[in-house]
Amino acid sequence: MNAAYRTLTRLIAASPLLLAWAAPPPVNPDSAITSDFTKRVSEYQSLHRNCESKLPRLKTTGSSAVIDDHQHDLSKSIREARANAKQGDIFTPPICAAFKRLAGLAMQGESGWRVNKSLANSEPIKFKLKVNDAYPPGVPQQSMPPTLLQNLPPLPPELQYRLLGSTLVLMDVKANLVVDLATDIVP
Amino acid sequence: MFLYSLIVTAAFGADPGPLPLIPKSVRFAVIGDNGTGGKEQYEVAQQMEKFRQTTGFDFVLMNGDDIYGGKSPSGVKKKFELPYATLLAAGVKFYATLGNHDDVNERFYKPFNMNERRYYSFKNGNMEFFALDSTYMDAAQVDWLKTQLGQSSAAWKVCFFHHPFYSDGKFHGPDLDLRAQLEPIFQKFNVNVVFTGHEHFYERLTPQNGIYYFIEGSSGELRTHNVKQSPTVGKAFDTDRAFMVVETAGDQMYFEAISRTGEIVDSGKLDRQVPNPPAAK
Repeated sequence: MNAAYRTLTRLIAASPLLLAWAAPPPVNPDSAITSDFTKRVSEYQSLHRNCESKLPRLKTTGSSAVIDDHQHDLSKSIREARANAKQGDIFTPPICAAFKRLAGLAMQGESGWRVNKSLANSEPIKFKLKVNDAYPPGVPQQSMPPTLLQNLPPLPPELQYRLLGSTLVLMDVKANLVVDLATDIVP
Repeated sequence: MFLYSLIVTAAFGADPGPLPLIPKSVRFAVIGDNGTGGKEQYEVAQQMEKFRQTTGFDFVLMNGDDIYGGKSPSGVKKKFELPYATLLAAGVKFYATLGNHDDVNERFYKPFNMNERRYYSFKNGNMEFFALDSTYMDAAQVDWLKTQLGQSSAAWKVCFFHHPFYSDGKFHGPDLDLRAQLEPIFQKFNVNVVFTGHEHFYERLTPQNGIYYFIEGSSGELRTHNVKQSPTVGKAFDTDRAFMVVETAGDQMYFEAISRTGEIVDSGKLDRQVPNPPAAK
């Protein structure tokens, strides 16, 4: 009786471990979405590099005209290659939802207070942009709070996240071109 | 666990007048928010040339907003090449950082000496300078900074970038999230001095956590009467444009803030802080 009781109590005590062993591995629903985002970004990066490979390589120059021309020619080439691009091609609805959750995490607690203060102090701006627009040169960029930035998937050097109010803009910074937009990401 | 044990022995305002001009010292100027193309920018540039002739500074740190508005060739000429033509002709090197009005492609512009990098470092004498892109402080940049600071053996480590951690400006104020991310790194790796811009005035902060902080963001733009009274204000100048001249010799750094009309509005001597002991293995 005592031995059976001991065995039973040991089995009960070990049951969470047994259940954990038997259960399928936990799935992070955001990881599949992040992978999809990374794949879409990678496809854009290939397109960018293909367009840029047809231009003279931009390297350090004393001529601002060379830099200006390169940006102009690159943006023209990408615009032509993505003539049918539309909002949501990269920031699909599931990706937007995941990014909203990730941004929300950065906006919680003490770090959220800091991020909000930084956003309020960093020349918040509101105007309309759409895919394939250039970011207007006379308009300041709102700096990205590092905590928020580090909660989002990293990007290749051609691309940066940029904020426009609560909208997250995916910018091709070398071409100065809006690649995609996701609205209502930052609370 | 690192101990942070800086001994601050600054004698702010103790040495008004010309810098000591010690032989073989490192001498440089600091400007910020300069690229307007307005007549005031040109007038500041003229004062810079006057002070170059007397102090012999041979490079300039730019705290960002190097070119406001359009970056067309005519814009770059009007907002950089013409105002600083005399300095450039004299061989003065400009080291730029990106502000929130700048274009990332400015890193390809040779006179900005960025070597195609958004963030970079360079050495001069017993000093090492770390230029950061505070508009986009991503994880890659933070990792790079930790590595570079960790490898640096310079006596003076100076960081310069656009957005200030500490500021008594009424318009912007401090960037608290940037401070939370970077200041612990600065403390761990013994950064001595930080120059920033963004606020369109000059401010010397009282030392914060053992680090000397300056804001110089009025070398083209100006936001008058924008500094509020605060215990963290060491000295502020917000009624005209300004720039700085700095000289470092051994463990001393001498600085002057100079107005558009050539008046020295702040000056002083800073003693190099005692560095943290190396981390235990």
